[in-house]
Amino acid sequence: MRRVTTLILLAASASALRAAGTVRVVTKDPTGLAVPDAVAYVVALDAPVPVQPPAEPVAITQHDQMFDPYVTPVVVGTSVVFPNRDNVQHHVYSVSPAKKFEIPLYKGESTAAIVFDHPGPVTLGCNIHDWMVAYVFVLSTPYFAKTGADGAADITGLPPGRYRLEVWHPRLAGKVGRELTIAESGDTTQVVSVTLRPDRRIRRAPDGGSSDYK
Amino acid sequence: MVFLAPAVAVAGGPYLSATTSATWQDNVTNAPSGDGIRSSFDLDAGGAATWIHTVDFSTLLVTSLSADAEVCTSYSGLDCVALGPQLCLRHKLGLGALAPNLYAGLAGQWVGFNDPERGKFEGDLIFGYSQRASDSVQFLLDGKLGSYDARDVVFSGNFASLVASVNLDLDETWRLRVIGGWRVGDLVANYTAQQSPYGWEPIDSDAFNLPGAWHYVRTFNEPFVAWRVSERTWSYGAAISPAIGRHSSLTLQFEHFTSVGLDRYDNNVVSLSFTRQF
Repeated sequence: MRRVTTLILLAASASALRAAGTVRVVTKDPTGLAVPDAVAYVVALDAPVPVQPPAEPVAITQHDQMFDPYVTPVVVGTSVVFPNRDNVQHHVYSVSPAKKFEIPLYKGESTAAIVFDHPGPVTLGCNIHDWMVAYVFVLSTPYFAKTGADGAADITGLPPGRYRLEVWHPRLAGKVGRELTIAESGDTTQVVSVTLRPDRRIRRAPDGGSSDYK
Repeated sequence: MVFLAPAVAVAGGPYLSATTSATWQDNVTNAPSGDGIRSSFDLDAGGAATWIHTVDFSTLLVTSLSADAEVCTSYSGLDCVALGPQLCLRHKLGLGALAPNLYAGLAGQWVGFNDPERGKFEGDLIFGYSQRASDSVQFLLDGKLGSYDARDVVFSGNFASLVASVNLDLDETWRLRVIGGWRVGDLVANYTAQQSPYGWEPIDSDAFNLPGAWHYVRTFNEPFVAWRVSERTWSYGAAISPAIGRHSSLTLQFEHFTSVGLDRYDNNVVSLSFTRQF
């Protein structure tokens, strides 16, 4: 009886593995250049899929007075810590509707993890160093990936079914999305053209010159 | 400031910065008439060490010590070194890059000149306001109430000044700046001089109408008298500043100064400076 049960479980696992599809999303701007730091995600259209936040918090570090990584996709309920590896204090904050918080000036490990409990984009900043900016994109689907330097991201573990593919980027102009179907057997590649707004960030370099009376 | 001390926590430092610049001005003498106008070319190098302390949620106490050396290639008497501390409270009214910043503090400076009678101690009350209108536009207002006490009374005085500037960042590299300034207070105007039976006196007879102390100076390699006068001075200018990486910038700046009063003079100042944060 035990052997039969084991065989059934193995067969089920193999079936599940076979059924798990992958969507390779390749993002390009209108000139054909790769778009890194875009979040590609799919939302199941047939039935909602619950998300399970990771047990360990995700870390967004501060180093050389910059946030790293620049874009962090997480699922709803994920805890994020903000370790400060600089020798200067930072005052991390967000005023985004999806998550408002602030961590007063600190160095080293942040005092507590911040739980991102609503979906949507969250812009991070430092209230001392205005040029510091980063983004947390909070998702209510477990199927997502961030594009690398080559503009590609693999969303894995997709059961067969109908989905809506969406792409988000901090500088995305307009909404990008399309429906797709994952078959029993296949992986798919989706090339997505995205138009980005100009990359306007606050200048970090110091002020020079003076206006002292001569 | 002393009452804040128990609440202050050290946030970090020292943070070091250095600036070197070359400056040309077409009227270093502040002379109103053509025969007294002399230009100069100055080379300057300086550095500052800054410590930042946390006072409360949105308030920082910034202390710094700066040192500076300037060589005037035209008139060695104007070569100088300066050393001074600064203590400044900075407060941000709210969260985010667009929240306004206020500051107020005290600055002190000792300046030693090659021409020893110009050596002075200066104490300033400094204050200011800055606010970004967007990621690329920032407005700044810097004020100063100062008093300086030189070895010679001609080079001593008091003043108040306000400088307003607008930074426009074309992108992460290129910054344009527009500057407007106002100053009221004592300054030193220099006039070509001739020897009379009564001693050295200005050739420009109008200078005799000026109130204030004056005497003969050897600073400009020919006979001059230096006169302490009280004036209002307006200035305007512009700068272009490319960033060089994240920690450095180059700035080319032009500023025109014009005084209003008994000693009306104009001075055009062009400087090229390099600033580096470590």
